[in-house]
Amino acid sequence: MKISNAWRQPGFRLAHAAGAIAGWLLIANAWTQTPPAAAPAAPPSWQQGRSAEQGTSTLHPIAPLLTGRAASELPLDKLKLPPGFKIEVWVDGVPEARSLALGDKGTVFVGNRNLSDVYAIVDRGGKREVKKILKGLNSPNGVAFSKGTLYVAERNRITRYDGIEDRLDNPPEAKVVIDNLDPSQQPGHFWKFLAMGPDGKLYFNIGAPGNIVLPNYTQASINRVDPKTGTMERVAQGVRNSVGFDWNPKTRQLWFTNHGRDWISDDMPNDTLNRVSHKSMNFGYPFCHQGDFLDPEYGKGRSCKEFDAPALKLGPHIAPLGMRFYTGKMFPAEYQGNIFIAMHGSWNRTTKQGYNVMRVVLDDKGGLTMTPFLTGFLTDEKADPPMWGRPVDVMLMRDGALLVSDDYNGIIYRISYKK
Amino acid sequence: MLAAALPCAAVAADATAGMQKAQVCVGCHGPDGVSANPAVPSLAGQPAQFVATQLVMFREGRRKDAQMSPFAANLTNTDLNNIAAYFAAQKLTSAAAPADAANTEAGVRLAQQFNCVQCHGASLMGQQHIPRLAGQQREYLKTQLRGFKAQTRFDMDGQMSSAAQPLSDADIDTLANYLAGIR
Repeated sequence: MKISNAWRQPGFRLAHAAGAIAGWLLIANAWTQTPPAAAPAAPPSWQQGRSAEQGTSTLHPIAPLLTGRAASELPLDKLKLPPGFKIEVWVDGVPEARSLALGDKGTVFVGNRNLSDVYAIVDRGGKREVKKILKGLNSPNGVAFSKGTLYVAERNRITRYDGIEDRLDNPPEAKVVIDNLDPSQQPGHFWKFLAMGPDGKLYFNIGAPGNIVLPNYTQASINRVDPKTGTMERVAQGVRNSVGFDWNPKTRQLWFTNHGRDWISDDMPNDTLNRVSHKSMNFGYPFCHQGDFLDPEYGKGRSCKEFDAPALKLGPHIAPLGMRFYTGKMFPAEYQGNIFIAMHGSWNRTTKQGYNVMRVVLDDKGGLTMTPFLTGFLTDEKADPPMWGRPVDVMLMRDGALLVSDDYNGIIYRISYKK
Repeated sequence: MLAAALPCAAVAADATAGMQKAQVCVGCHGPDGVSANPAVPSLAGQPAQFVATQLVMFREGRRKDAQMSPFAANLTNTDLNNIAAYFAAQKLTSAAAPADAANTEAGVRLAQQFNCVQCHGASLMGQQHIPRLAGQQREYLKTQLRGFKAQTRFDMDGQMSSAAQPLSDADIDTLANYLAGIR
């Protein structure tokens, strides 16, 4: 099959075409057992939805330094925090450090997206050892820990490793919690965030299979699976891609970050912070973005009124990832119950923004106010790359300090407070 | 306590240490990474992130090559950063003659038309994880482009496989001649 430049034409949905072809081959192959012919090469998922006029754009996703950088190479003096707070490198040499999870015995587990390993960091009285504990996994972005067990979300499955903190040098075999989460080998947002809910169920995203495409029944959603039964159910839909969530300690409601679509403009649509207050909520993708902005294509003939609105607009192309409610004892009292959000920062914007950790204060009337907390990674909003580090996840330690992962450098920072 | 003070901590990239480690590389890639073998790419003057990323991919078995895979298998991230820093600091002096005027004109046009310059840069010197094409070995460039077109060449995100689809064999020859001859 000859491929043309047709995918550059407005309205052409190559990701759909390629997906349909790949799906058909999968079925045909099951019958005939013959190897499939090569499908035409689709453009990378991040280009999907780009208009013909945007075809010469030089905007591109920012690739991490997969080998990491040493702490001594980083301009740490550029980092800014409110008075009384201090940041230091907690550990370096954790390639593409993304999601964080804390073990019962203090081990910090770290996942990644482009690599295939899970790392464990053991802190022995201030001496930190980085161990590669799991290998050969399929984009193990999601890690969660509960009651002695490490759970890992790969692109296609969630597995458990029981009693792992006592066996870091000889980890147990993976036991499958749920499999077949990616039967179509979807392009686009295949990596998963994972967290243990207060209900004892594991929550995870299944992202949209492209920038702006019609998802199937399981995609563009947040789901939960009971690790005892392996039964999955949908928690929310119309969620383009969420790579961070946590539960409000007061209400026990789920809050999550969500990435808006690309290739509309520098200023639209916003990425969002969202609250799940009841069952069957739909946050609009691909029809309506940020609660009030109809998609130029999929929004035709629809209304945003049929969908649920976000709790807060965070800004366009700011890339919110990990978020945590602050419940520790170390930070000042006014930080109790605040949300920290790691902003990975723009690529699909001519003037870059993000690359920081923001603080969201929830007032008694339900109002939300966002202010910068950790800044200084952004060096030149017009440069390529515009930054020297990219926050991915935030996690509370038992002493109330906040860890921040940086996948660009393979670094984990620690933020502490002293009066 | 800063992790940099710890024994297991990563150390800053060191081009001198990289030169030591790279002695095995220059056997094929040429002195200082300037290749004299048409089938083997020059590494001199490549972006450090590109060299390190490809070595990671060889080491992790994502990109496979009978020659390269065994070399990369036992290198640490610190080794890779050092090797990358060393090659990035070397000057590439292309042995290829510049393409003739007609080929150069056609090559410039094709590099625009097929969006090579969008990612590899206006002067095709590469950036970040994207390789320098200017002055690269001609036969190596042809082999890579044919491989991307046939979807047999390792591709991180599908970008090059997609970009190579509309290239004819003649386009590939014209582009390779032009790119190899850029001084």
